Amino acid sequence: MTTLQDAELGRLTLGFVPLLDAALPIIAREGGFFDAVGLEVMLSRESAWSTLRDKVAAGLLDGAQMLAPLPLAMSLGLGRAPCDTLAPITLSRNGNTIVLSRSLSERAGVALGDEPADSARALGAYLAAHPETRPRLGMVYPFSCQHYQLRRWLALGGLDPDQDVELSVLPPPRMVEAMQAGEIDGCCVGEPWGSLAVARELGTLAATGVQLWPDHPEKVLGVTRSWARRYPATLQRLIAALLDASRWLAADPEHLHQAREWLSLPPYLDRSVDHLSLLSLGTPPIAQRLFGDDVLRPDPTAAGHFAEHIDQHMRRHGRRLDHATLSECYSPVHFDEVAHQPSAAPR
Amino acid sequence: MVEEALTNEGHQVTCRLQSPASLNEMVARHQPDVVIIDMDSPDRDTLDSMAVLNRENPRPVVFFADQHDPDTMQAALKSGVSAYVVDGLVPGRVKAIIEVAIARFDSFQSMRQELDKARNQLAERKRIERAKGLLMKHQSCDEEQAYRMLRKIAMDRGQRIADVAESVIDILERLEIGS
Repeated sequence: MTTLQDAELGRLTLGFVPLLDAALPIIAREGGFFDAVGLEVMLSRESAWSTLRDKVAAGLLDGAQMLAPLPLAMSLGLGRAPCDTLAPITLSRNGNTIVLSRSLSERAGVALGDEPADSARALGAYLAAHPETRPRLGMVYPFSCQHYQLRRWLALGGLDPDQDVELSVLPPPRMVEAMQAGEIDGCCVGEPWGSLAVARELGTLAATGVQLWPDHPEKVLGVTRSWARRYPATLQRLIAALLDASRWLAADPEHLHQAREWLSLPPYLDRSVDHLSLLSLGTPPIAQRLFGDDVLRPDPTAAGHFAEHIDQHMRRHGRRLDHATLSECYSPVHFDEVAHQPSAAPR
Repeated sequence: MVEEALTNEGHQVTCRLQSPASLNEMVARHQPDVVIIDMDSPDRDTLDSMAVLNRENPRPVVFFADQHDPDTMQAALKSGVSAYVVDGLVPGRVKAIIEVAIARFDSFQSMRQELDKARNQLAERKRIERAKGLLMKHQSCDEEQAYRMLRKIAMDRGQRIADVAESVIDILERLEIGS
């Protein structure tokens, strides 16, 4: 017996960027978990995080897969006009990789299997000996774990991210081709793009997100606060369907194959998952996590790492991060309403 | 098209980029007042982040259209245009520029939709011709009878003739491969 209220909306559109951690909305759609809670959900592939962000803020999308820091940045008005945004469920933890181009990693002596501090120090030593070299490193968005993890890793090598390298923003699906074209010498990006660069022998894995920030929230579902207030029952059902999708994924190793098949459909990740024989979730060195109720439950304290970076950014502009905004963004209240209910999905 | 409209309105287009590789450099070199970019361009992130990341340019203001005017913003998003003010320009002037750009994008979009529609119609006509040809061969009938058959199935099923044609092609072509 489910006690979910009837949804105010029957049809909705969610935005996503082609990444492995778009998996839960894709599974919920393809596996019928949205249908089971009475929602007809369209998934709209977006070509850039800024476009996805603006469409959510303007109401052209009901919600979207978002970089974990994005709802906070939107609420604080960083990078665009303020728009109160919530992260009612986490969609993934870990999954980022720092990849250096083959040329740069060979010159710097960075090898696969190095500890992050070792690879960073190797790059640091190389750049100290070659001051004319200023590598261009790609990341996906200024307010992203990719940006902050890259800065953290560079700091391990004694490098100043603002002086010693040039940071350049590119959407995830462009990262591999940019490395191939020599436009960037390295990047920090989410899966499958990091492992794809390695599989195509374009670069070497220098560090992973989980090594730098273990089990840190990576993507969340983002909806505006005004949307959540207008459609509370729809939001509950949305969370329930995503949670059911994650429980299904966890239930049987065979489901990982099925999920990979769905992800490789052309509207989603298409051929970018060709190099993955199955989704190897939870295994080192990338250790991406897409299921576990504790993994998906939002938590303001788990947002600590990026909240600190955002606070630093704001202080440079004479502002401060207020903890009320942080707590509201990542409040588990909506999640907890749903997580303890019996599943709506047929087993 | 947008360029023409802007020029007519007395604005000057200083640079047009086909490829994004030199976006940073070109903005630095040409110092434009406004950068106009296709909403769905993957390069929006690069442009969008310049204001946050670029420390050499201490006063870069990024507008998404005029953010205090949700109607203009929605219109811009829907028509597929976004614009960035790279250095402090009077918001009123930005709005005028954006409105010209939106109007031009809109008319471009509707032209594109017309073109798509025409292409679809052509493809549908070809599909119907192909289905008729297959039916004539398999049912040994003439063109008129083949067409009536398609029309009858379409009416019975409540489908469009072009859709019926597609399933007829599907079935009959498979038969041909099988035989």
